[in-house]
Amino acid sequence: MVPPEYYLFLSAAMFCIGLFGILTRRNALLFLMSVELMLNAANINLVAFSLVWGNVTGQTFGLFTMALAAAEVAIGIGIILVLYRNFDGVDVTDATTMRW
Amino acid sequence: MVGILDFAPAIVLLPFVSFLVALSVGDHLPKGGALAGVAATAGSLVLAVGTVLAVAGGRTYDATIYTWAEGLEAVDLTFGVLIDPLSAMMLLIVTLVAFLVHVFSLGYMNDEGETGLPRYYAGLGLFSASMLGFVVADNLLMAFMFFELVGLCSYLLIGFHFREPGPPSAAKKAFLVTRFGDYFFLVGVVAVFGTFGTAAFAGSESFPALAEAALRGETTVNTFGFAPGTWFTIVGLLILGGVIGKSAQYPLHTWLPDAMEGPTPVSALIHAATMVAAGVYLVARMYGFYAISPTALAIIAFVGGFTALFAATMGLVKREIKQVLAYSTISQYGYMMLALGGGGYVAATFHLMTHAFFKALLFLGAGSVIIAMHHNEDMWDMGGLRSKMPVTYYTFLSGSLALAGIFPFAGFWSKDEVLYETLLHGLDGDPILLAAYAMGLIAVFFTGLYTFRMVFLTFHGDPRSSTAEDPHGVRWNVKFPLVVLGVLAAVAGLVNMVPVKKVTGLEIDYLHKWLEHGYAGLTVEHYGTLLHDFPHYGSAGLELSPLLPGAVSLGLALAGAVVAHRLYNVPDPAEHTDRLGEIKTVLYNNYYQDEYQVWIANGLTRPLARAANKFDGGIVDGVVNGVSGVSLFTGTRIRRIQTGVVSNYAVLLTLGLTALILAFGLVGGWFV
Amino acid sequence: MTTKPELNLGSHLLPGLAAVALFVVMAATILSASYPEPQGFADGANVTASIGYAMFNLDLGDIPGESFLVAFLVIAVTLDVALDGAVHLATREEDDGNRTLLADGGRELKRTLFGGGDD
Repeated sequence: MVPPEYYLFLSAAMFCIGLFGILTRRNALLFLMSVELMLNAANINLVAFSLVWGNVTGQTFGLFTMALAAAEVAIGIGIILVLYRNFDGVDVTDATTMRW
Repeated sequence: MVGILDFAPAIVLLPFVSFLVALSVGDHLPKGGALAGVAATAGSLVLAVGTVLAVAGGRTYDATIYTWAEGLEAVDLTFGVLIDPLSAMMLLIVTLVAFLVHVFSLGYMNDEGETGLPRYYAGLGLFSASMLGFVVADNLLMAFMFFELVGLCSYLLIGFHFREPGPPSAAKKAFLVTRFGDYFFLVGVVAVFGTFGTAAFAGSESFPALAEAALRGETTVNTFGFAPGTWFTIVGLLILGGVIGKSAQYPLHTWLPDAMEGPTPVSALIHAATMVAAGVYLVARMYGFYAISPTALAIIAFVGGFTALFAATMGLVKREIKQVLAYSTISQYGYMMLALGGGGYVAATFHLMTHAFFKALLFLGAGSVIIAMHHNEDMWDMGGLRSKMPVTYYTFLSGSLALAGIFPFAGFWSKDEVLYETLLHGLDGDPILLAAYAMGLIAVFFTGLYTFRMVFLTFHGDPRSSTAEDPHGVRWNVKFPLVVLGVLAAVAGLVNMVPVKKVTGLEIDYLHKWLEHGYAGLTVEHYGTLLHDFPHYGSAGLELSPLLPGAVSLGLALAGAVVAHRLYNVPDPAEHTDRLGEIKTVLYNNYYQDEYQVWIANGLTRPLARAANKFDGGIVDGVVNGVSGVSLFTGTRIRRIQTGVVSNYAVLLTLGLTALILAFGLVGGWFV
Repeated sequence: MTTKPELNLGSHLLPGLAAVALFVVMAATILSASYPEPQGFADGANVTASIGYAMFNLDLGDIPGESFLVAFLVIAVTLDVALDGAVHLATREEDDGNRTLLADGGRELKRTLFGGGDD
């Protein structure tokens, strides 16, 4: 058996890579891809602990998380579309009107 | 009359009801609210007579009517009524004069066609109620409140003809000068509460009783670090500030001559017989507190004597009849203060009573003359009114004889007793009292002089103007009060003829006996004991016959009258005071006291006020503005975090999450 | 002529340090935690079938698990909503072309008219 720490490390690394993408990316679509990466990191975590407890709950829940990620991407792309229409580009650093 | 004393609050409330009536429906009443006032004061007079009879039967009354603030560990603030011989006597005086003034007002105001009558009668009603409330007050705070109320009514009534320039200014001056004194009075009231925990006048737990016990070493009170004697003197002097203001003693006398801008009945009621008496009455009421402080008594006597002389000199050169009477009032209240300081409690109350009668009489007589002269007050335009206004003349003469102190009119007996008591206690070795006595004695000469100058210029000689040749007639409502008061001015002295008693041994000093019963701490004997023990009046056991001092003062008064007769009782008198030259200018300008007070206000108070304003605007407001400034500044800076860029928000989120996990980990011991 | 892609390094990468810091913290937590022995699944157990049975509240699977029927239905609804939402957001309505200007609060218009920006 692979010790659970390895899976957790992998999950943490993927999460932080996704987070890095969110923090530094200017393109909205790439921003969304980074979000997907973070969601999948959480999924790995769920499946790893399903193995640890010998239970199928983790994996089932992972399926739901995937579905939710899909829904979120759908909405996200819709928002990016509206963003494009209004700001003539998909650069997130251009959309700065919602502030003081 | 069983239970008459329970009606004592009604004496105060009846004029208050007439105030409300005049204020609310006075416009619709036939005489503008006068009849309500006459009826109310008549009712109060009847009740006051009943009260006097009940007190004569030996009953007294001290009850708390209403507790308006109940302190748990501290003081209780109450309204109460105290009826004892002193207050019963004062009630009778005030209600009688108020009633007569209301009747007189029918002739002075209504018949002369004055406008704004409801306001006038409302003011009179409120004043009567306030003064009566002051008289029956059973604690110092209640007395202070009514003290201020009578000051307010004085302001309202002096400024009755507010559309002319003089009266409103005079009203403000009266209010401000008395208020200045009342500030010290208020500090004194608070000091009394702080020291004794109570401000009651009567009873074993009253503050005079506690002060006496503290000085005898029987109890301790909070004297704020001073020796008890010193502290009680300080408190007494603070309260004296209000007394000096209200009773128009030097240096706060400047408002009274200007207060003559008010209608003459107002002058008679307020500025002769009652409101200015409030200060002297207050000292008499708490005499047990003053009697234990020799310094305070000496100061009172000196201020009184000085004021008596000071005002009498100024009365010599005045042209208007009411001005002479105003300075006369200041001078006579100086005598009462002299008596109180000199240990003559009975003398002071006696002079208070007789002065109320003859001064009100003189003012009402002057009012009658003013009506006749079509409101011209200058005595040099009068003359020869004796034959045309006999009732006014004889009553005015009766009042003048009483004022000058000519035997056997009322003023002779009371003024004589004032001077006698002061001399007797001064000869015990008190130079201040002797100096005050000397000033009072000299003032007797001047009193006789200015009084008879006034009488001769007004009523004798030939008429000096066409108005004097054909004066306006007056009706019964003017003559009736004059007659009543004229009789009283003649016979009121009979109640306390001490010289006759000393010579013949007859027990006819009724006033002295009257003031002997009542509450244990408020009788003449108790005060005599205090005066003997603390300022040591009468300790040398001197025996002085009252005949010699009486003869001296009578002689001086007659001398003044004779000089006035020689100078002014001629068909065409000249202004002899011009021969005084420069002195006359100084006297006519009131020793420049008014200018001096204005200078203090401009030179001292205004810069102080400006500095305080700058402090308030700069520092106090500055702090508040600074706080808001800090808030605005930090807000302007901190809001820049909200850049609108999503990535920045994500950075903040991440940093926050990291910090949170780190904190939890360190506290929860995850990393060890 | 083409250029090869250049790695875009620059100061905009600085916020990424926050992510690195988070990884360090998480790694420290993971290393210091203790884990139970992984139980694993029995040999020959049908994991996929168990997942299916668990999803529909049927207790026929080899490996035990909680029942997810309600969650299943909720996610179904959510996916449906997401689809409709995406379509709604994407619909282009026929209107005048001024929306571009107004969506920024009039900033562009103000800048062109008055020449100065705020702050």
